[in-house]
Amino acid sequence: MSEKGEVDLTGAKQNTGVWLVKVPKYLSQQWAKASGRGEVGKLRIVKNQGKAEVSFTLNEELTAIDCVGEKASSVRAPRDHPFTMQTVGGQTLAVFTENPSGQSEDRSDGSAPDKLVLEGVVVQRAECRPAVSENYMQLKRLQIEESSKPVRLSQQLEKPVTTNYKPVSNHTYNVEYEKKKKEEGKRARGDKQQVLDMLFSAFEKHQYYNIKDLVDITKQPVTFLKEILHDIGIYNVKGTHKNTWELRPEYRHYQGEEKSD
Amino acid sequence: MTSLGSSSSSSMEYIVRVPKNTNKRYNIMAFNAGDKVNCSTWAQARMERDMSNRRMYGEEEVVEGAAGSEFGKKQREEARRKKFGIVTREFRVEDQPWILKVNGKAGRRFKGQKKGGVTENASYYIFTQCPDGAFEAFPVSAWYNFTPLAKHRTLTAEEAEEEWGRRNKVVNHFSIMLQRRLREQERGDDDEEEGEKAGKKKKKKGDKGGDLRIHDLEDDLEMSSDDSDSSVGEDGESKPKAKKEAAKKGKGGKKKKKKKGSDSEAMEDSDDGDFEGLEVDYMSDDSSSDEDEPEKVKPNKGEDVPKGIDEASESEEESEEEKQNEEEGKDEEDEEGKKTPVQQEKKKRRDSSEESESSEDSDIEGRADSALFMKKRTPPKRGGGRGSGGSSRTGSRPGTPSIDTASTSSTLRAAATKLEQGKRQTAPPSSDTPPAKRLKMASNPQSPAEKSVQQAASGKSTPSSSDVQLTEEAVRRYLIRKPMTTKDLLKKFQTKRTGLSSEQTVNVLAQILKRLNPERKNINDKMHFYLTE
Repeated sequence: MSEKGEVDLTGAKQNTGVWLVKVPKYLSQQWAKASGRGEVGKLRIVKNQGKAEVSFTLNEELTAIDCVGEKASSVRAPRDHPFTMQTVGGQTLAVFTENPSGQSEDRSDGSAPDKLVLEGVVVQRAECRPAVSENYMQLKRLQIEESSKPVRLSQQLEKPVTTNYKPVSNHTYNVEYEKKKKEEGKRARGDKQQVLDMLFSAFEKHQYYNIKDLVDITKQPVTFLKEILHDIGIYNVKGTHKNTWELRPEYRHYQGEEKSD
Repeated sequence: MTSLGSSSSSSMEYIVRVPKNTNKRYNIMAFNAGDKVNCSTWAQARMERDMSNRRMYGEEEVVEGAAGSEFGKKQREEARRKKFGIVTREFRVEDQPWILKVNGKAGRRFKGQKKGGVTENASYYIFTQCPDGAFEAFPVSAWYNFTPLAKHRTLTAEEAEEEWGRRNKVVNHFSIMLQRRLREQERGDDDEEEGEKAGKKKKKKGDKGGDLRIHDLEDDLEMSSDDSDSSVGEDGESKPKAKKEAAKKGKGGKKKKKKKGSDSEAMEDSDDGDFEGLEVDYMSDDSSSDEDEPEKVKPNKGEDVPKGIDEASESEEESEEEKQNEEEGKDEEDEEGKKTPVQQEKKKRRDSSEESESSEDSDIEGRADSALFMKKRTPPKRGGGRGSGGSSRTGSRPGTPSIDTASTSSTLRAAATKLEQGKRQTAPPSSDTPPAKRLKMASNPQSPAEKSVQQAASGKSTPSSSDVQLTEEAVRRYLIRKPMTTKDLLKKFQTKRTGLSSEQTVNVLAQILKRLNPERKNINDKMHFYLTE
């Protein structure tokens, strides 16, 4: 079990060589459809007087292309794909894998420590190209047609849309709001001591309050609340643009502030 | 796997599999060709995501509740951002760069940034050969370009811009980073034990801020000595001597820097404002401690065996001064440190003014001071003393323009030693030692001849605005009326009014003062000249 961040370097030490192959999109889609053990085709390497020719042949069953729309299976993916071999150049390309270990995913920092393994170094680069054939041309045409369709479509409507807004005498939301207001009634002045308790507990949670928020919390009329606040608190402009109320220093005992009273 | 034999070609067929069930995500780690990375040489490697961008996306959580918080702040903030249409991109862990550390603490570090657009139009697959001969193809999910991280310190963008603006003036590039480090230290810690920093080059650097300010030769001199130290000790940090000097210089340097701030009204302005917050513990009294320090230092200087390079000797001198500091003990150290820093600052000031090609009044004045003193005691070998500083500064870069100072450095040092001796012989009243000290300083940081004259000239001038010609008579009048420093004197004979260039002014004034041989008095820590007739 390696600790977090530790990279397993066995692949690098063994100098495992791998190939990096660029594969066309349609081919990788076909490969994704492979069944069973995942056999997708055959790779043939011919060494011809020193030069190596590599070509990949797609399995027959994977040549059927699912296409959207009418042209179902009239287009087949080409089968032959010669590889164009390239050197890595000066660049060092290494391959590492992340293996999310099976820990739970709901950690706040995202994935649990993955296992990082350096699999190997790229020794050969290749591009998989389809052998040009009629099949391939058709496939390409299909692709182009699909991609040239606009994402958004303008459509003409015969009748105007009437479902959204109808004139009402009073919107439902408004009706509810008025009902709620009537229920609550005007705020009555409660017992001063109680209000003070409410205020103190509110100020324990936050230091600065807007007068509206305090009214909301204490459900007292504004003038009454302001009187009380004048006793125990100060109104400060504070620099940040809202004008807020806070307790007087002698009433405060926040952590991190000096204790007083 | 089938194989066909043939005489000239052989072909092998392999089955290609694309495994479906793997959880492993394959990624490419790309290094640049120039970095010469060989994965097989790695003994050990650690790699983690670089989460430093997290705070940009998840906003910093301010203290929740209680002190300092407002009710409903979060909602308000959110409403505000919606109103302005600020859309923050969410922080995705898998898009964050990697930090790769190879071979532990002393090894290399790399940062791997995700390359976008890799999987959009074509897929990359990794083909590996299995033991059974078949190929397995794994899709590549991400490509990371790994670049090596610099382990050495680099300049920030602002600092780089500053330096770029000074690229024509700054000759000694080694000093840039040194200065920066010292500045950081100055800012960072006031309480830190100086000894800790002693061993490091940074400490040695003393006043790096000086390089970035329009200013003084002294600063440059100090730096140059520092640099010469570094150049002497090849990479500057390993040589024990360099360290020792660094230690001393560091202390002195630190003090110098502070002292410089306190003296700034007498010397060049500090543009940076670096010195604003500096403690100036030796502001109050200098004179007595100043006396002792220079004397001790000068004998040492005389005895120094030249290192073979001018810079070396220069730095040695300074280190001697530093030694003095240490010997005196902590209590006196401040005072002495003050003295030394004063000296060295002045030196530096002069050096730096030498280095910066602009000649400003303060430059002129400073040089006038030193030139004046030089004149009084020794034939004006102004270039020499300066040269030692200058050469030390430039020693690390042999091709630099101030090479001409090197030739005079020996003479200047000779002058300096003569000065010391002369000083020692005359029973130095307190007023004399500061001059002596200044003489020493003058001799040391003397820039090429013309500059020293400027310095001399600037020192003392009596304020009489009507005098346009720079004559002995005029200077005499000034000095009779009131004691003046060289700086004041120089102010009197402004180049516009006398029609002389600043260099000439300094030269001429220095000569005049030599002829006049005025009395010296130390007022407010400055050397004033006056005549009584």
